[in-house]
Amino acid sequence: MWLPLMGLVIGVIIGLLTDIRIPPEYSNYLSIAILAALDTLFGGIRAQLQNIYDEKVFVSGFFFNILLAASLAFLGVHLGVDLYLAAVFAFGVRLFQNIAVIRRILLTKWTSNGEK
Amino acid sequence: MVGAQKNLYFSVTASIIGFMVAIQFQTVSEPVNRDTRDTWELRNDLMGEKELQSELLQEIRMVEDTLTKYESEREMSKGELLKETLEELKIEAGMSDVSGPGIILTLQPVMNELGHEVPMSYVSPSLLQRLINELNMYGALHISIDGQRVINTTVIRDIGTVTKIDGHSLNNLPFKIKVITKGSEEAEKLFKRIEISDIVEDFFVDNLQMMIKKPEEDIEIPGYQDTIRIRYMEPVE
Repeated sequence: MWLPLMGLVIGVIIGLLTDIRIPPEYSNYLSIAILAALDTLFGGIRAQLQNIYDEKVFVSGFFFNILLAASLAFLGVHLGVDLYLAAVFAFGVRLFQNIAVIRRILLTKWTSNGEK
Repeated sequence: MVGAQKNLYFSVTASIIGFMVAIQFQTVSEPVNRDTRDTWELRNDLMGEKELQSELLQEIRMVEDTLTKYESEREMSKGELLKETLEELKIEAGMSDVSGPGIILTLQPVMNELGHEVPMSYVSPSLLQRLINELNMYGALHISIDGQRVINTTVIRDIGTVTKIDGHSLNNLPFKIKVITKGSEEAEKLFKRIEISDIVEDFFVDNLQMMIKKPEEDIEIPGYQDTIRIRYMEPVE
């Protein structure tokens, strides 16, 4: 459990240390990629808790979602429609659902643990 | 083993997410430079900027001045040149009044022995044309007959027993023929040549006496009054 958290911290530290900046016009893509990655991550955690976790699904979903979100945003920019909002909406909704499911599972686990 | 691998995947994913978040954070939250200058510093800075502005304005004004000067010079020179050319051409064509040294010839009827005018007083066009030809031969620049300027297209002809020069009748004698030459010397020459010319006798045959006055320094000849109509001339391509 602590390893992923540590990975997150390490990633943040590396990101801050490298002092990489992307042009402001591309920050949209990055933000949506982050959202997609978070969605995949929480989806993975939920699957893990529900015992339906699949390595391939998780890894492929991670990259595919990021790419899809970014390309959707790209398409939206070129079509003049804010398509990235669709991705934000979809990922946002999924994120909340996943977190809600995780919370419920954890709650049931915790209550069942407490009953024991 | 499986759990460790799972953990590894999650960690890698989490670290990538962290990395992206960090970059996004850095990109979005550009360090805000807070303005900590006080009033006086601001004032000084403003003064500096104002000076710069005034310098720039001055420069702009200078450049614009130069520009307008050039423009006006160009305009002026063009206009002046055109005007000069026009004047020259007008003088050459006989459209403008001219003055200069020359002689005045007066044609008048011959008196008979009793001091009476001989009734027949008719100026023949051919004689006038001959006179003009001779005058031109002897260096006349501008000629006027009875106040009518003689130019290249001037017509002298007989219309119903009245000699007309460009539509102006020459039926009231005496009249004056004014001739302007290049200079006083030429005027003198012209005077002498006309004096000994046969044309005086030719006029006498027509009962006309030609009085030749001594050259004068300032003779005025009016310009051609009508518009010159050119029908058979075209500019060369």
